[in-house]
Amino acid sequence: MQRFLDPAVLAGISSLDLLAKTVVDGFVAGLHRSPDFGFSQEFAEYRAYTPGDDLRHVDWNLFARTERCYLKRYRGETNSQLTVLLDASNSMQYSSGPPPKMDYARFIAASLFYLAIHNQRDAAGLIVFDDDVREYVRPSTRHGQLMRLFAGLERAEPRARTDYGKPLRHFQALLHRRGIVIVLSDFYEKPEEIVRIVEPLHFHGNDVVLFHILDPQEIKPELKAPAILVDLETDREMEVIPEYAKMVYRTKMQSHLEQLRTRAQAAGMDYHLLITDQPLDSALRQYLSLRQAGN
Amino acid sequence: MGFLAPWFFAGLAALGVPILVHLLRKHVTTPRPVSSLMFFERGVQSSTRHQRLRYLLLFALRSALLLMVVLAFANPFVRRAATATNESLLLIVVDDSFSMRAGTRFDDAKREALALLAAKPPSQKAQVIALGGQPEVLTQPTMDEAQARSAIERIRQGDGHANFGELGRSIRSVTETAQMPIELHLFSDMQHTAMPANFADMVLPPNVKLVLHDAAKGSAPPNWAVQSVSAPAELVDPKDPKRSRVQAVIAGFATPQAAKTVLLAVNGKAIATHKVNVPANGRATVEFAPFDIGYGFNRCEVRIEGGDTLPADDASIFVTRRSDPERVLFVHAANDTRSPVYFGSALAAARQSSFALQIVTPEQTTDLDPSRFSFVVLSDAINLPSIFEHTLAQYISRGGTVLITLGTNAGRRAHIPIWGAEVKDVHDYSRAGTAATIGTVDFTHPALEQEQPGRDKGGWVETKFFYAASVDPGQARVGARLSDGTPLLLDKQIGEGHVLLFTSGLENLTNDLPLHPIFVAFVDKAALFLSGRERLSGSQLVDSFVQLRSSTQPAGEAATIEVIDPDGRRPLSLREGRTVQTFQLPRAGFYQVRFANGRDAVIAVNPDRRESDLQPIAPDVQQLWSGTNDRSTPLQTAVVDDVKYRPTSLWWYVMLLALVVALAETALASRYLGTQREEA
Repeated sequence: MQRFLDPAVLAGISSLDLLAKTVVDGFVAGLHRSPDFGFSQEFAEYRAYTPGDDLRHVDWNLFARTERCYLKRYRGETNSQLTVLLDASNSMQYSSGPPPKMDYARFIAASLFYLAIHNQRDAAGLIVFDDDVREYVRPSTRHGQLMRLFAGLERAEPRARTDYGKPLRHFQALLHRRGIVIVLSDFYEKPEEIVRIVEPLHFHGNDVVLFHILDPQEIKPELKAPAILVDLETDREMEVIPEYAKMVYRTKMQSHLEQLRTRAQAAGMDYHLLITDQPLDSALRQYLSLRQAGN
Repeated sequence: MGFLAPWFFAGLAALGVPILVHLLRKHVTTPRPVSSLMFFERGVQSSTRHQRLRYLLLFALRSALLLMVVLAFANPFVRRAATATNESLLLIVVDDSFSMRAGTRFDDAKREALALLAAKPPSQKAQVIALGGQPEVLTQPTMDEAQARSAIERIRQGDGHANFGELGRSIRSVTETAQMPIELHLFSDMQHTAMPANFADMVLPPNVKLVLHDAAKGSAPPNWAVQSVSAPAELVDPKDPKRSRVQAVIAGFATPQAAKTVLLAVNGKAIATHKVNVPANGRATVEFAPFDIGYGFNRCEVRIEGGDTLPADDASIFVTRRSDPERVLFVHAANDTRSPVYFGSALAAARQSSFALQIVTPEQTTDLDPSRFSFVVLSDAINLPSIFEHTLAQYISRGGTVLITLGTNAGRRAHIPIWGAEVKDVHDYSRAGTAATIGTVDFTHPALEQEQPGRDKGGWVETKFFYAASVDPGQARVGARLSDGTPLLLDKQIGEGHVLLFTSGLENLTNDLPLHPIFVAFVDKAALFLSGRERLSGSQLVDSFVQLRSSTQPAGEAATIEVIDPDGRRPLSLREGRTVQTFQLPRAGFYQVRFANGRDAVIAVNPDRRESDLQPIAPDVQQLWSGTNDRSTPLQTAVVDDVKYRPTSLWWYVMLLALVVALAETALASRYLGTQREEA
């Protein structure tokens, strides 16, 4: 089943519905084999009764045997709200091989939506942005929500350039309820600026996850000869020599990734680097762990 | 510069091909998209520029290659001025004739020649010729300045007589081999006596530029010289007033009237002195008599006291040999009684001869040894004893000489002793009523030698011949012929000796020659020739030749000839001494010679007295000579222009350059293509 999670294979599937189903079913099927994971309602602990506690939670069988009043605590099972913030700027259409970063991001978003709505009964919503909010699908568990989300993903074609400042002001207005906020972007911005903009979402009680989507060539670019590079967002051209791409660029990129990771974690956010040639399950696994931790 | 095939420049249109290729190549370069240039920085510009420069360099190489090929086909050439460049041959001719001994002429000429040589460009070829008696090529055309300088420095003052006609002939032969323009520099005193009789002999080829360097520098200085000396080569009796005397002619060239003291020295000792008044620019004769000398060869000298510009010609040397009268064997037929009388009288009357005649008949010759005689005369002696004839043949082969005359006995027997041929016919002109006369006379033959014979053929034209034998001359030299073509005097060399055949008699029956004065001169000259004294007599001129042996004798059997020059050295090696036939007398002085027939001789050699006249060639004649080329015909001018400007094709060099460019283009292009493959 692992091959169904291979991005190159998934790229051949045109329907996001089928794609999300394939990914999530494959992921869940593999999950049952693991003894370490589970998400049904189950006993957590006993706690001594204190005045004011709800008597409905007292374990009366235990009281009958021991005449001590204990409260029986279970892991709470509540419906959460998932909101995916998808970066649809021009830089997301870069690809050194299938799939492009934008498609990869859509795969992840679709899979998350499927998992949240179909498996977890969570409300799921979508915000597509570039230099402004282009698409907004309110989080909901209503029937047909998944299709609306998929349609929103379909419409999210890369254009314009990224500007985190402006759409984030809208995010705060749109996200009233606490939940999980997943940001899918290539984050070509200064780490402190990114964290500064995204951090308010965390302050509102959201669990914020940054999924940093990059192409392998963006991490380790290979130039055989001096070349003229064109910025997809600004159309600016620049002559670059192979020596620079091999040495300085990689150092800068690693530094950028490290800073972004550090600053995000320092701000209480999770950060995950997703390479477009890697399977999608790490993103799903991250979501479930957050979902479980939130309960 | 020009192009021999300029229409090939149409091929320059092909230059568009590399231009098009390189422009397309430039357009093919497409930018590469990236998500963001956030982490990129502009690279070191030199790297990218290097790549562009490399392409431009490749483009330049390709364009240059095409240009070179087109240029090579257009065949470029440069018109190089041959005379202005170093392709001309610098021909240095230094006159080392006798007249160059005057003053500092020779040293000045050599110094100027060395200065000219030092000033020549290193790449110019030079050749050195010494102009003495004969132009002597000292070096081949060479760029080695040291070799040419050494050749000039080795030139020594000579005693020869310069002849500009000979120089012209030599230069013409040099131009046939050199095949290049020649710049001829003549360092000479420009003596007018060096001019040939015909000015055309001096004319140089069109590609020769003559530059005259006058070593005399001005008019001729006054010069006195002993122009000629008349002295007996053989002297029997010093007290003989007719023969024992020496006459010398003292000549002045551009001289004022002066009294000169003339000295006669024999074997280094002055024996007489005379004062003589030499008129201005004239001649005076001084006579020394009696001429008292000892036996043997006497080395004599007539000298003018007091120096002048050219002291070397103030003396003239000669050799006189004092000896007892030499015997001559005269064999006559019994019926020929007049010949001994006429011949003996003529021999006694001869000026230079001193012979004692022994007259015998053929029957009396049996016990005679011919080698004891200076020469032998067979006067109409047809029937010789075989023993004597055999002895006579041996005598001739060893260098002896015989005069054979054919009188009336020739009609009775055709055999001619010794001669090796028979009488074909006998012409009795008296029967026809008209006597034969002399037809032709070879006055260069020693027995007939006359300097200026004149219309009467030296007196021979008055003689009449009534009877003469007809003999096939064969290999013999014909000295004289009768009017009907019959050979009268034949000279045949047999072994080392000579046989003179006179086809008529020596008496007044067969001809009237004995009655004419020419008979005495003929007998005198013939006796000198037969006795060999003409080779040993008096003096010779520098550069004249002495015949040392006959050419018919095989070299292997020849006796060694010995020559000792004035310095006491032997100029002939032992091998040369056994083979050489003639010897040139290159210097003035006394030469000792031992001939192949065993006779010794001392030969005095004097410079040609024409060298004493230091008068230079008139300036206008010099200009005419050196400017001969300027007055040439237009055809010659065209030839000169062709020689002056020679087109030198450059296509080979252009092709070579194109090859280098092609190699560089190949190397650069392969490197560039390799880079392209990596990028792909």
